[in-house]
Amino acid sequence: MNFFEYLIDSHKPVIRPFNRKMQEKLVVLYVLVLLAFAGLVLRLFFVTKYSGETYKKQVLSQQQYTSINIPFKRGDIFDANNNKLATSEKVYNLIIDSNQFWDKDEKIDQELLDGTMTALKTCFPEFNEDEVRKYVADNKNSKYLVTLKQLSYDSVTTFLDMQKDKEANPNITGVWFEEEYKRIYPNNDLACDIVGFTGKDNKGSYGLEQYYNDTLNGVNGREYGYLNDDKTLERTTISPTDGYNLVTTIDGNIQQIVEKYLYKFNEEHKDAARTGNGARNVGCIIMEVNSGEILAMANYPNFDLNNPRDIDRLVGTPFVNEKGNVDYEAEVITEENKNELLGNDDAVYQNLNYLWKNFCISNTYEPGSVAKPFTVAAGIESGRMTGNEYYTCNGQLHVGDHDIKCHNYKMGGDGTLSVQESIEQSCNVALMLMGKQIGKTTFLEYQDKFNFGLKTNIDLYGESRTNTLVFNKTNMGDTELATSTFGQGYNVTMIQTIAAFSSLVNGGYYYEPHVVKQITASDGSVVEKISPRVLKQTVSASTSAKIIEYCNGVVVNGTGKTARPAGYAIGGKTGTAETIPRDKINYVVSFMGYAPADNPQIAIYVVVDRPNAVFQDDAKYATRIVRNILTEVLPYMNIYMTEELSEKEQAELAELNITIKNRDLEEEEETETGDENEEKDDVIDANGGDITSSTTVTDAEMNSDDVDTAPLTGAILDTKTGEPIKEDDENDPQ
Amino acid sequence: MTRNKNEKQKGYIDYTLIFILILLLGFGLIMVYSTSSYSASISALSKNDPNFYLRKQATATLFGFGGMALMAIIPYHTWERYGLVAYVAALILVVLVLTPLGIELNGARRWLNLGMSVQPAEIAKLAMILFLAAFVNRLGTGIRTRRGFWFVLFSPMIMCLAVWRITDNLSSAIIIFGIAFLMLFVASPEYKKFVVFSGVVAGITAVLVFMIVKMSESSAFGFRGARIRAWLNPEAYSTDTGYQTLQALYAIGSGGIFGNGLGQSTQKLGFIPEAQNDMIFSIICEELGVFGGICVLSLFVLLLWRLLVIANNAPDLYGGLLVVGVMGHIAIQVILNVAVVTNMIPNTGISLPFISYGGSSVLFLMMEMGLVFSVSRKIVFKDDN
Repeated sequence: MNFFEYLIDSHKPVIRPFNRKMQEKLVVLYVLVLLAFAGLVLRLFFVTKYSGETYKKQVLSQQQYTSINIPFKRGDIFDANNNKLATSEKVYNLIIDSNQFWDKDEKIDQELLDGTMTALKTCFPEFNEDEVRKYVADNKNSKYLVTLKQLSYDSVTTFLDMQKDKEANPNITGVWFEEEYKRIYPNNDLACDIVGFTGKDNKGSYGLEQYYNDTLNGVNGREYGYLNDDKTLERTTISPTDGYNLVTTIDGNIQQIVEKYLYKFNEEHKDAARTGNGARNVGCIIMEVNSGEILAMANYPNFDLNNPRDIDRLVGTPFVNEKGNVDYEAEVITEENKNELLGNDDAVYQNLNYLWKNFCISNTYEPGSVAKPFTVAAGIESGRMTGNEYYTCNGQLHVGDHDIKCHNYKMGGDGTLSVQESIEQSCNVALMLMGKQIGKTTFLEYQDKFNFGLKTNIDLYGESRTNTLVFNKTNMGDTELATSTFGQGYNVTMIQTIAAFSSLVNGGYYYEPHVVKQITASDGSVVEKISPRVLKQTVSASTSAKIIEYCNGVVVNGTGKTARPAGYAIGGKTGTAETIPRDKINYVVSFMGYAPADNPQIAIYVVVDRPNAVFQDDAKYATRIVRNILTEVLPYMNIYMTEELSEKEQAELAELNITIKNRDLEEEEETETGDENEEKDDVIDANGGDITSSTTVTDAEMNSDDVDTAPLTGAILDTKTGEPIKEDDENDPQ
Repeated sequence: MTRNKNEKQKGYIDYTLIFILILLLGFGLIMVYSTSSYSASISALSKNDPNFYLRKQATATLFGFGGMALMAIIPYHTWERYGLVAYVAALILVVLVLTPLGIELNGARRWLNLGMSVQPAEIAKLAMILFLAAFVNRLGTGIRTRRGFWFVLFSPMIMCLAVWRITDNLSSAIIIFGIAFLMLFVASPEYKKFVVFSGVVAGITAVLVFMIVKMSESSAFGFRGARIRAWLNPEAYSTDTGYQTLQALYAIGSGGIFGNGLGQSTQKLGFIPEAQNDMIFSIICEELGVFGGICVLSLFVLLLWRLLVIANNAPDLYGGLLVVGVMGHIAIQVILNVAVVTNMIPNTGISLPFISYGGSSVLFLMMEMGLVFSVSRKIVFKDDN
């Protein structure tokens, strides 16, 4: 049979029947087709039933491209004079929609691409044309390439104007801008420890940025695109809610003065006795004694809020260990070895964390002799002391198993001292004798009243807990009581100390220290006003007056002479504390004071942690800083000068461009203010007159208020008032 | 079936079939509009005209009605002597794609510019039906011999190879072979050979798939290998090869039983590219649910049922085989299309007859339907007694 014949010879149509067998097979075929259809229907049900919900969600989630996030603006942070410490600026990210450059034939429209690239190149010099061209060529379907970040409004406007001008630039397409906010700190370093900084995700780190993170943050808005019944895209916008602003109590000018002198101290002392900064840390707090408002708070080393991760700022600080602490004799980071940190992210982070920490509220240390006014206040307020006692110092005192030395042990002690003289000369023996008089229970009761061991709840992130770093009834023995009277053995933070001290000099009112005084909305309306909060009365007004009297004496006659600024009378107390281990090399020196002396308005506390000097145990490292700061701050605050100016002082003020503010000169103009001041003066005179006995002026410049806990042999001094100690011992539950 | 004498004389007109056909075409136009209006309105290529695809499809359908009427009027025996001519002519048209007459669209050279753009593969399907019906009719009992069987089975091979290799259109080649296979199945009294042959083909396919999966990585077997891997695990290839399939599944799944309502699909808004083409069934399911999908399939079941009736009542073998060819063509395309959309087989470009957008597809399908009507006109009903 030749099949090709059949193919070619088709001129004679042949009629054959579509026979029964074929009909049968066609039915079979039809049944098979029906079965296939049934299978398809089953599959449809299967897809819907088992994956329907998942797929539905998938479809909804894919729709998100029609909804655009509109970012909120994080609130600003202002200082007390309405200067911006932190703000958020709108910036723009340049997005390339590479799909727009492709035509239906899967080819790049070169005309469009060239036109767009030229325009972008003109407006944004940093635009990387080659990279984007390559990206567009490689990613046909990409609609979202972030090409340039954080562009300014001006540069973006230039581009948009070009795009609008269709005649001159017909070929601009595939470009849009995404809005974003960038956190900006106009003053860079200023108040870095108070303000803290914020990352890209609007999450604050440290300071106010972290403490008030939720207040500063708002709620993002959204622009939804949806299709209406006519299948056209409609847009609905839900506006973002901007975050609240913070108005702080910080006075930018005072803060600046403080930071200037902390920096100056560092410049003068760095690399003096050892490699590194002028001190491991220097901190300063200035606070209004009658409100608890912080006027300035700074420490050095500091950092740039706009570039907090700059490791150059670590130079001069010691390497920290894995726990974030500084080991004894830790190596110092220098220009040469700083690169050792690179590549070790953990180490960099640990060191930066140490730098970012706010020394004034986060670091704990033994306060040293600045604790002495608290001991005296506890004694007088509790009635265990009258203030008229006299104590004899032979250079050391035997307590428990130890002989505890006084600072001038080598010279045979301070001799017989009144209470005021004990403070002025910072006599440890006298204070230990007072401690015996006061007794453990009362002493601890007053530690608690002064808030030692408790947080002050200042509105800044990172305040340390010190509850385990102070003594309690079970672990305080005679030795611990003795050392505690002059500020060794327990730990405090700077903010605790100055908050308690403010209450000692303001009539006894303990104000909660705070930094934010007002929270405002983005339209400027006040959301919350934060008023000063008196938490408790620590001492009576009369005790407060006595402490002021004693502390004034410190600056007039005692260890704090060098803290007095030209033209002013101030009061205060120096402190020199040993650090652990007790190597007799490392000390924390400090000065805690107030001004003016007759009517304290502000308190200031400067702590120098391990000054960079051969002999660190010299409170003058702190008092000189205080003097420098107050010399500028007090005139700035319009506080009148009361003291005579020497020629040298006048020259110094002239050099600083400070006008001499004399009460006598201005009294005629501002009678009311003058009257007020006078009244207050009277009160203090009255109180002071009763208490002050003859004061022996010690001209000997106090090198330090040395503390010694090492055992030694020698005579023990008697006290005039032995009875209260016995009583106290009997009452002791131990 | 009772018919009066009048009908016998005038020739039988299958109104049910016409009704089903118009229903399918009308529904198809609605769905083409629904799936394409949004993307057409935002695309400069369609001149931002939402009716762009609808208008083109409606025009092709009108031409299709003309072609169908013409084919219905012309007695089908006219074509019997031109079987081989049709085969050779279709082959030439396929080769013509390589000449400047060819049009390249979406990266494939499958169209011819003959005044309007035409897919030679669509012509080849019609030509295959015309050729095989005539050839088998000529063979008569010759088909029962082994040589006859294999000769018929492999006669479409030249066409298939040409369509596959020249226009790079494997799916059309498979359909053409499938049409021939089904026509032979009906014409031959055999069962065993078909079962064995199907078994062998299934076996080879399974081995190929297994090999592709085993090779797992790289570009083994080109884009077809990639499509098979994407078929087995669409989620893993969701950004490229598996994208379309996965998006189609999302559409079906999100539609549920009764769908989101006509016009309410979200997947057609750019997620399923050119949703009016091969993936239109997924949008039908998204908008009208599984219920809507079953309705469409039911229409095809009814259509095929009418074709079965016409074939089984055909006055002669030639007419019967023509109808079987058309029936096979439609059945294969529907099954393969829905199977692709539901990811039962790897993704391959097969449109849904009468519904998917595509001018030449609808034009030639309707000409095939014209052939069927032409056959049905000659049906002579025997008296019931």
